[in-house]
Amino acid sequence: MKTIEWQYLIVSYLFLGGLSAGLYFVSALTELFRKDDDPAQEHIARIGALLAPWPVMLGCTLLVFDLGHWYRAYKLFLHFRWESPMSIGSWLLMLFIGISLLYAYGWVPRGGREHFYEKLPRRLRFLRMFNVDVAPWRRPLAIAGLPVSVGVAIYTGVLLGAVQSRPFWNTNLVAQLFLFSALSAGCAFLILVLAMRSREFEMYQFRSLYLLDVSFLTLEFFIVVPYFIHGELSVEAVRESLKLVLGGPFTVVFWVFFMGLGLVLPWAIEVREVAPLFLTHVQLLPRMRAATPTLAGASVSVVSELSAPTSAKKLHFSRGWAVAAAVLVLVGGVLVRYIFVFAGQMSAIR
Amino acid sequence: MNRRGFLRVATGGAVGVTLLQAEACHSPLRQQKVANDVTPRVEIPTTCDMCVNKCSMIAVVEKGIVKKLNPNPENPKSKGMLCARGNAGIQQLYDPARIKHPMIRNGERGEGKWKVVSWDEALDFAAQKLSAIKEKYGPQGTLWSSSESFQEVFFRNLGQAFGSPNSVRHPTLCLASVNLAYSVTFGTVPSFDVQNARYIIMSGANRLESFITPDTMDLVDATTERKARLIYLDPRFTKTAAKADEWYPIKPGTDLAFILAMLNLIIGENRYNKEFVSTYCTGFEQLAEHVKQYTADWAAEETQIPAKDIQRIAREFADAAPRAIYYAGRRSSWSRDDFSMRRGQAILNAIVGSWDRQGGMVPNAKVELGELMFLPWDDPVAPRVDELDKNFPLAAKGDGVYLKLRENVLAGQPYPVKGWMIYKQDPMSAIPEQEKTLQMLRQMDFVGVIDIQMSDTAWYADVILPESTYLERLDPVEMLGGIRPVVLYRQPVVKPLHDTKPAFEIVQGLAKRLNLFQYFDYTMEQWIAEQVKTLPMDLPLEYLKKHGVYSPAEYPKYGTTLKPDHRFVTKSGKIELFSERLQGAGYDPLPVYHPPSEVPTGKFRLVLGRVAFHTHANTTNYPWLSSFAPENTLWIHPKAADSLGIGAADRVEVASGVGSVRLKAQVTPKIRPDCVFMQHGYGKRSPWLRLANPGGSDAQLLETAWDKVSGGAALHETFVKVRKV
Amino acid sequence: MATRTKRYALAIDAKKCIDCKACVVACRAENGVPVGKSRNWINEELHGDWPKLMAVFEPEQCHHCEDPACVRVCPTGASYQRPDGVVAINSSECVGCRYCMIACPYDARFFREDLGVVEKCDLCAHRLDRGELPACVETCPSKVRVFGDLNDPTSEIHQLLEKRQYRVKKHEAGTGPQIYYLL
Repeated sequence: MKTIEWQYLIVSYLFLGGLSAGLYFVSALTELFRKDDDPAQEHIARIGALLAPWPVMLGCTLLVFDLGHWYRAYKLFLHFRWESPMSIGSWLLMLFIGISLLYAYGWVPRGGREHFYEKLPRRLRFLRMFNVDVAPWRRPLAIAGLPVSVGVAIYTGVLLGAVQSRPFWNTNLVAQLFLFSALSAGCAFLILVLAMRSREFEMYQFRSLYLLDVSFLTLEFFIVVPYFIHGELSVEAVRESLKLVLGGPFTVVFWVFFMGLGLVLPWAIEVREVAPLFLTHVQLLPRMRAATPTLAGASVSVVSELSAPTSAKKLHFSRGWAVAAAVLVLVGGVLVRYIFVFAGQMSAIR
Repeated sequence: MNRRGFLRVATGGAVGVTLLQAEACHSPLRQQKVANDVTPRVEIPTTCDMCVNKCSMIAVVEKGIVKKLNPNPENPKSKGMLCARGNAGIQQLYDPARIKHPMIRNGERGEGKWKVVSWDEALDFAAQKLSAIKEKYGPQGTLWSSSESFQEVFFRNLGQAFGSPNSVRHPTLCLASVNLAYSVTFGTVPSFDVQNARYIIMSGANRLESFITPDTMDLVDATTERKARLIYLDPRFTKTAAKADEWYPIKPGTDLAFILAMLNLIIGENRYNKEFVSTYCTGFEQLAEHVKQYTADWAAEETQIPAKDIQRIAREFADAAPRAIYYAGRRSSWSRDDFSMRRGQAILNAIVGSWDRQGGMVPNAKVELGELMFLPWDDPVAPRVDELDKNFPLAAKGDGVYLKLRENVLAGQPYPVKGWMIYKQDPMSAIPEQEKTLQMLRQMDFVGVIDIQMSDTAWYADVILPESTYLERLDPVEMLGGIRPVVLYRQPVVKPLHDTKPAFEIVQGLAKRLNLFQYFDYTMEQWIAEQVKTLPMDLPLEYLKKHGVYSPAEYPKYGTTLKPDHRFVTKSGKIELFSERLQGAGYDPLPVYHPPSEVPTGKFRLVLGRVAFHTHANTTNYPWLSSFAPENTLWIHPKAADSLGIGAADRVEVASGVGSVRLKAQVTPKIRPDCVFMQHGYGKRSPWLRLANPGGSDAQLLETAWDKVSGGAALHETFVKVRKV
Repeated sequence: MATRTKRYALAIDAKKCIDCKACVVACRAENGVPVGKSRNWINEELHGDWPKLMAVFEPEQCHHCEDPACVRVCPTGASYQRPDGVVAINSSECVGCRYCMIACPYDARFFREDLGVVEKCDLCAHRLDRGELPACVETCPSKVRVFGDLNDPTSEIHQLLEKRQYRVKKHEAGTGPQIYYLL
């Protein structure tokens, strides 16, 4: 019988897992490519690292309680079944949680850490063995954790994409969509937190986040487009399933709320914010072209060039618009997962 | 240890215990355990009682609990199948709403206040009441109504020994017309060799849906494996219609026109079996003359079936003979002229010569069983209260005519009937015009009910004597006649769960107190021992206990009556196409067509029918079965629904001349626009039958009408108004 | 794909099915399935318009696929396939994630909230191991179902599928379903 088994708990988990992965990814990337003389970049990396473990841990808790037998969750770790995306995902999550907690620990301010261990009650003093300075391990952990975070973000899409019986999902584009949605959610969440909390910095100093978010949103957009093109040119089951968002019950929430308000609008806000950068730094382009033939190299040099403190003018990025764009991206992230989880379970091969 | 430490241990312990408990109690659902039986697993053959078809089955019992009912492949009639109802027998046994003790009414009739009493007290009470009525009104002042059961014979005998001529049984609401029509024609009611037929016409008789029977299996087999052709006439697109080669939504009440037109063509084109007719039948000339008027064009007008199809079918039917049957059907309680229609069928079947031939009609073979000899009682002195001799001289005496009987009882004519003993019957649900049945119950001095559940009738009883279910009882051996006769055994598979008794012991208990015990002074075992004496095997009882069923291997036999000197049990000794017996009783000797009453504008004809997962009204409280239809709905054609502004799943009020009910509408193209349909057995008032409460009761809507000749109830003669609520 | 000695499968002649629900009740009784859920069911399709109506009744249950998606996606191995082809569930290992329910192209599985595990038709494996037929096959009045070992050339199902044409449902799902609907 047809029932929608995976509902809001799963949607929440998929979002939270992706969010953590995105936070980690952005933090790690920033840490690896920042210059020591840019305190804003270090701030991004620190906040991202400290935030990264918690959404996914909350998500996992929700996940465990969605199980029919929550107290049997440990059984997931008695087996490794490589054909089951859920089995792989469970192990990946454990690994990610471990690495991200360790990585976050490396960013806890030294003073705070020492104070905490000093103030421990006598019974818990044995915990002092954990009073280790992990900060020197930040970069190795960032490198090690990057593929794991990508894995966590992608596997949530593989979970759906691997299911042949749900034509709405059965495309490898779903994994990519969820990946870039997760990475952009990470950026957006950081923008949101920094815009509301970090008064000691100007939003302009966090422009790397905007640039990353724009890149991710652009990639996301160009995944949704082929998803539809390929889908419409595909087998009948897929075409039937796409009707759920082309006239069916999820049409409005997909096109107006996800694509419009959750993707295009924040993209436009952020592009508008960063546009002056390109216009004033247009002379940077020939230098970049010469120095860096590869795409990876180009993106790295964009980030480093644009974050160079020696850039010509300090522009003002509005906190208000930052919050607006960030919230829209986050809501969009939740919505895309809601749409896919529900519509997917409603689709079937006739 | 300080408080914090204690809390920590306690919570830890609690969590641990909860986890363990949670694991432990998540084991598959088990039925109530009975402590005393520890036999691991045993399979006991017995006979199903979820309907009248008496299929053989094997009960799987583990540690005293019936786990499953499996089919018994040894029965050549039920052929190793068990239908939905048969499988649900477990729910009848373990029904939490079963009547578990004898009870005496402790408030007003219908209030539902009961006092649990001992058997002695209950039987004393019943016997006292019956004796009092006998004193005041004579034994004829009591009515003994019952439905078919292996133990029914004891109840009926008690009624007769008591001196009452008033017995009334199920056929008057069902089989009366078809039984009488075939008896009058052939002297007996034959079975139809569906399995071997090549051309089958069915009027209604929704055999593939209504009441899964051995004929159901034969029909599926015949049409799918043996390429038999099925022509089906029904105002509804039933499951049989879905499987038939041709389905015609015939105008209700016009089947006789169809048959007469077929007769007209078959005789007119000389397609009948001349040799058979001349050797075994009388009255052919009168028949031929009579049907001249009934042309196919005329019938097309009446039935709304195209004339060319009627003609083609008639030709195909005759050509396929003797493997051609116009299936008689079982429930022949449609119209006031049902008997005539069945007579027409019988005549049609006769003239194509399919009598006693493979694929045709076969007189029932039987296996002789022994009979326990006991003192006969005097025959009842008084005439029946429904005055059969006067009103329905040809009706089956033992079965009675329920509707006329009720009419007379309510009027107190020809004499008062003040006591009513009911066994395995639910008149409140079964008889049309429930208001009148209720009146009849109320005006009784005494109502005693023997049943297993708190039916709507039991709800109004003065005393309830709970019977044990079929899985808890040892019953007399039953012989089911037919093309392949079978002898069936029913033995208990578990001990009675509650304080219930088999009907036999209840009858004995009453008999003792009524000074009639001399007619019941034997045990069930003695009764059975006598019965099986005639069976051919060495240890018949052991055989039956082990196999559950016996069927002699020499059947089917065809042609045993096809000897020129064979005497049919009719006045002339032949198959009576023209019936002198009917003529003598003042009825049409040949079937005369009367058009059905026209459906008044703005109204619908209410038609009834059965489904595969319920037995009449008595299984609607079993979850496994009612889950397929939690309430009954009113089938109404989309055109009709549109004109009344009724949308899918709207609630409607259905009103007839005698009552109204409310139920959900089901807008469906599967029914004629001028008809509506509702399932039977819902809308009950007994609060003990919670699952049967939703929906509406057809008994409240049906108006009183009966067949002119057999007295059988006419259940399709009610016109209703439907409106959205 | 393992080469099997036995390969149990079901052939269904839907032409014979009259939607009498015997198989549904028999399964419920045999396996303790609560009302409201079902291991097997009958699909009804009504075609046409009054008075030219047609109806088809097709029983269905778990197809015990040759390449079952449900077994593949199960994270604990609770869903597994026996050597004889029967796809079964080890309830004590099931954590109730319901991924298998989503992976099944036939929606043959359901969730038991009361037990916290997923359930489905297992061809009455406990009966098979006793040499009996699945309850639905045994009880059917119309003899719609033929059950047996495809790999046994003398079995009724093997011979039936050699003689008759058949189709399977949702072939595109690629799971290799083993319920054969005779045409």
